Amino acid sequence: MWWGGRGQSFNVAPHKEEPEMGLSGPKSDPGNRMPEPSSPQLGSCLASGCLPGEQILAWAPGWRKGQGLELPGALICTNFRVTFQPCGWQRNQDTHLNSDYDFALINIGRLEAVSGLSKVQLLRPGSQLKFIPEEILLHGRDFRLLRVRFEAGGLAPQAFQVTMAIVQAKAQSSQAQQYRGINLSKVGKVPASRKPPIPLLETLEDWETERKKQGAKGWRVSTVNERFDVATSLSGYFWVPSRILDSEVRRAFAHFHQGRGPRLSWHHPGGSDLLRCGGFYVASDPNKEEISAVESMLQAGHSDVVLVDTTDEMPSLADIHLAHLRLRTLCLPDSSVAEDKWLSALEGTRWLDYVRSCLRKASDISVLVTSRVRSVILQEHGDRDFNGLLSSLVQLLLAPEARTLFGFQSLVQREWVAAGHPFLTRLGETGASEEAPVFPLFLDCAWQLLQQFPAQFQFSEFFLLALHDSIRVPDTLTFLRNTPWERGKKSGQFNSYTQVYTPEDSQALAGSSGNLHLSVWDWDLRYSKEQISQFLNPGYNPEHCPDSWFPGQQTSFMAPGPPSSVLLFSRGALTPMNQLCPWQDSPSLLAVSSHWLPRAARSSESLADQEWGLPSHWGACPLPPGLLLPGYLGPQIRFWKRCYLRGRPEVQMGSSALTISGLQDELSLLQELLRKWAPRISPEDHCKKRDPNSILSQTR
Amino acid sequence: MASASKSKYNSHPLENESINMVSQDGVSQDLSENVPHLPGERGITDKEVIYICPFNGPIKGRVYITNYRLYLRSLEMDSALILDVPLGVISRIEKMGGATSRGENSYGLDITCKDLRNLRFALKQEGHSRRDMFEILTKHAFPLAHNLPLFAFENEEKFNVDGWTVYNPVEEYRRQGLPNHHWRITFINKFYELCDTYPAVLVVPYRASDDDLRRVATFRSRNRIPVLSWIHPENKMVIMRCSQPLVGMSGKKNKDDERYLDVIRETNRQTSKLTIFDARPSVNAVANKLVLTGAIQVADKVSSGKSSVLVHCSDGWDRTAQLTSLAMLMLDSFYRSIEGFEILVQKEWISFGHKFASRIGHGDKNYADADRSPIFLQFIDCVWQMSKQFPTAFEFNEHFLITILDHLYSCRFGTFLFNCELARERQKLTERTVSVWSLINSNKDKFKNPFYTKEINRVLYPVASMRHLELWVNYYIRWNPRIKQQSVSHPLSHGLLLLSFRQPNPLEQRYMELLALHDDYIKRLEELQVANSTKLCDPSTSPSSPSEMMPHVQTHF
Repeated sequence: MWWGGRGQSFNVAPHKEEPEMGLSGPKSDPGNRMPEPSSPQLGSCLASGCLPGEQILAWAPGWRKGQGLELPGALICTNFRVTFQPCGWQRNQDTHLNSDYDFALINIGRLEAVSGLSKVQLLRPGSQLKFIPEEILLHGRDFRLLRVRFEAGGLAPQAFQVTMAIVQAKAQSSQAQQYRGINLSKVGKVPASRKPPIPLLETLEDWETERKKQGAKGWRVSTVNERFDVATSLSGYFWVPSRILDSEVRRAFAHFHQGRGPRLSWHHPGGSDLLRCGGFYVASDPNKEEISAVESMLQAGHSDVVLVDTTDEMPSLADIHLAHLRLRTLCLPDSSVAEDKWLSALEGTRWLDYVRSCLRKASDISVLVTSRVRSVILQEHGDRDFNGLLSSLVQLLLAPEARTLFGFQSLVQREWVAAGHPFLTRLGETGASEEAPVFPLFLDCAWQLLQQFPAQFQFSEFFLLALHDSIRVPDTLTFLRNTPWERGKKSGQFNSYTQVYTPEDSQALAGSSGNLHLSVWDWDLRYSKEQISQFLNPGYNPEHCPDSWFPGQQTSFMAPGPPSSVLLFSRGALTPMNQLCPWQDSPSLLAVSSHWLPRAARSSESLADQEWGLPSHWGACPLPPGLLLPGYLGPQIRFWKRCYLRGRPEVQMGSSALTISGLQDELSLLQELLRKWAPRISPEDHCKKRDPNSILSQTR
Repeated sequence: MASASKSKYNSHPLENESINMVSQDGVSQDLSENVPHLPGERGITDKEVIYICPFNGPIKGRVYITNYRLYLRSLEMDSALILDVPLGVISRIEKMGGATSRGENSYGLDITCKDLRNLRFALKQEGHSRRDMFEILTKHAFPLAHNLPLFAFENEEKFNVDGWTVYNPVEEYRRQGLPNHHWRITFINKFYELCDTYPAVLVVPYRASDDDLRRVATFRSRNRIPVLSWIHPENKMVIMRCSQPLVGMSGKKNKDDERYLDVIRETNRQTSKLTIFDARPSVNAVANKLVLTGAIQVADKVSSGKSSVLVHCSDGWDRTAQLTSLAMLMLDSFYRSIEGFEILVQKEWISFGHKFASRIGHGDKNYADADRSPIFLQFIDCVWQMSKQFPTAFEFNEHFLITILDHLYSCRFGTFLFNCELARERQKLTERTVSVWSLINSNKDKFKNPFYTKEINRVLYPVASMRHLELWVNYYIRWNPRIKQQSVSHPLSHGLLLLSFRQPNPLEQRYMELLALHDDYIKRLEELQVANSTKLCDPSTSPSSPSEMMPHVQTHF
């Protein structure tokens, strides 16, 4: 496959250059692929690749089994992770924090030791290793498999030690709080002034830049939550309607669950606004002004308001958790499911069903956003799971910008990381019962879109896999925290809670040290250049420029007066609502007498069918530019084999490099030659319709 | 073909002449409307009907019936639906509703198609409109029962390539390095006297005499003796095919047959092993997985040099053809080219007597005939699975496979008609009909996989696990307009959704674009080089010498 398959890039001859961390003693000859177990230097050599605070607990020489040839090296267990280090491979400057063979301790789902015919599962309570293992199998919760055969002979005790070390380290790692992330200055690789590759949205400037980019004119960045005292689970900054004062925001947000009031998620260039908020805090007793503030924040100046319950017709968190567990069991290499029962077993996990629900709902919401200019409010009680999932999917469907590599990462940073998706809890690391792989579900949905629209995404399947595998990597704090506040606190951005209250401190901290921390988006710390180049989809060929939106249709923001229609989108249909807010007898200013009645919704019809008469009249009314309408009927939802079946023994005999990327490389070369030879000839002379340089730059 | 589209895009480049038909029911119609028709195609009738679309509900339309197709055009302003159904795909026509039927659209015709479509037309109860349409359709969809010729014999299409010349058995065996010291080409079956369902040209062991062959034939079902299908170019292992032995007759093994198998064994010096692969019990279940698994085993035995393989099922024309042809596709990269695949189908399926006429039921109205079976479809499905797992290994694309399947039923070409070579020769098929390969080879670009990377001698082992097999959505579910992918990048997609014509895969489109750019660059570089070399007096003025530059330009794209 053109993405090379995990680990293949390290099978090539190792780099000849001396690694920067050159104090590791005598290097083994890079060409010598045999391990040198007797060498006393190996330990220190291995240590050179350690993270700050990382200690090697045990190691043993062995062979990594997998697709193709066995790879000699050493299995190392540290207090952070289990890693397999191939012989002769140095953690070089390219990827000194991570390799393909890293298994974060929290990623280990199952550990099996094999000796002859006996096989023991070691992570069950009370299970013990009573023999010296010949081989161990680590099953990742990210569906990867690390299978190492130990060297036989006098080294066997090492095999025992490393196996037991993994068991103990895993047991002690349950408090994931120990992961502090890596401080750039400690790693010493990157100047402290370096800007993060993706705006981390920890500063007001980041939010302001993003707001301008979206062209959200009627909105401003609110600093009301700078001290996380309006909503602890929210980011310090968010977007609110310009005319709403911060004092009003503070009071209005108090009437929402956990203070998560309505904020702008995304401004559609056609004029609509996509908002998200938590559930109304029904027990509160807002006064007239407060209700008025809540209503105008929800209305966001539009005369047409649609409230979407994002948990309606969606799986529950427990459903998703269970489905994912079943999927993992099903995809284990020794899964006992009979061949002819595979499809029904896959269906039985309900995972694909849940993917379908997400795509369907996202498709409906994107129709709501594009079919007329309105305010579309995503409401979920907690506002931290499905709101983020659906808001992100809707943006993938509507915004060509979100389909770029940069845009997608910004989207995840904004709608998931900054918006306080409780990653740690959902990964099951806090011991709470609310484990649910909502983010992996989102990645699966994104993969489905990539399958359905292969030329519309700048990133590749390989990138989605890399992101999928980064969820549990302890190197960065991007995913291993529940809220932006915790992330900032634990990273040392704030030394103590009280300090946050000093304005000078928050100023200084927000400005500088926040950026010092690595994020998952610092891919070059964990992936080689070659791998990062595979993040790009060679087939990317966007037809729609982000600025090609229907001009002139933008209605003036802040239409005066109450909305003319307030609708609830539920069960696939729109129903009029009498009032936006639930408080009984509230003196609502929105005396809505909606004469706008929903069309009778045939259950088989999607909202797109109702709106545009799709697909029978597909030609009659062209879809809004940039809109992708995903298919979600039975066979259109596919099984992400390259992610979920990675641990299985069948070798997917891949094809050679996809010709399209090879062709692109050659085109760059030819272009270079042309430039050399004919500096005066401008490209327009030859290619009027399309500048060849721009064709290339779309993907390069 | 159910499609919603604007009529102006609907004219097929090859079928764009219109038939001016006299309207039967007196409703005036726009005669400038194009109803596609092939040379030799005659209009029979047309009628106003309600088409009950399974996806969008009833649509008023006009149906045109010719001796080749049923064509329906929507008469409603806001629908551009077109149906284009070759009569050959119709497997069953039924009347629905009776004189006492109540309810809207409950009286009419229900048509079941071999390509998984189901068409329902509602007609007026007055007059004899339904009876007329039923009789005309039955007559032309099932011409064999009415002493009418299949459309292939009336088709007057001309192509600039003759598909009948694609397969020449002697040439194909020569490509395999045959005859050699151990194998000979025999014409013993020239007049189909040894075996009436085998081709005229056979390859048998050099040491087996014609008399030996005749004796062995008496012991094999329908005289289908073991003959060579393919020989490995290096280790000389072979794939043989035959029918089952007639053990039941005498209850004991036949000496001649055993001796013949010994002779086959002795053709190889390295190993005298011959694995007999009985496809009867193990592969009889209807699952592409089992077929693929069987073929992988055959290919592995031969490729690894472990042993030669003799494949048989009951008659050696169904499962046997699947296994030999798939194994050959895995082993021999030649068969993965467009012409190579045509030769493979022509050889292992058509010439060796896969009973296409019986299995498909061309022009025959007995839809419930037990002889009908989608054996060939299953084979093509396996080929598609392989092409999904090895996206660069095949010269042809998905559209190629779908086109073959469409014309397996359409009866427009002679390629898949009749059960065996003998019957085809009697009918003078190659003189009286056109080959489907003429259509394909005269417009090859449409059927090419842009990602094809030619690799010689690479053996493909697909994964036959159910976990890796996929549902062929673009074939089996293509009639559902909701399944059709929204093609954003396609320039036509703003105006219409075309179902009857293939939308290019966006990746393929992108590749073609880059390829054109590549050609443009090469051309410009060459021009520059010519310009430079003519005025090349002072070498120091050029940044690099042409010889330095040109190696980069010589590329494999």
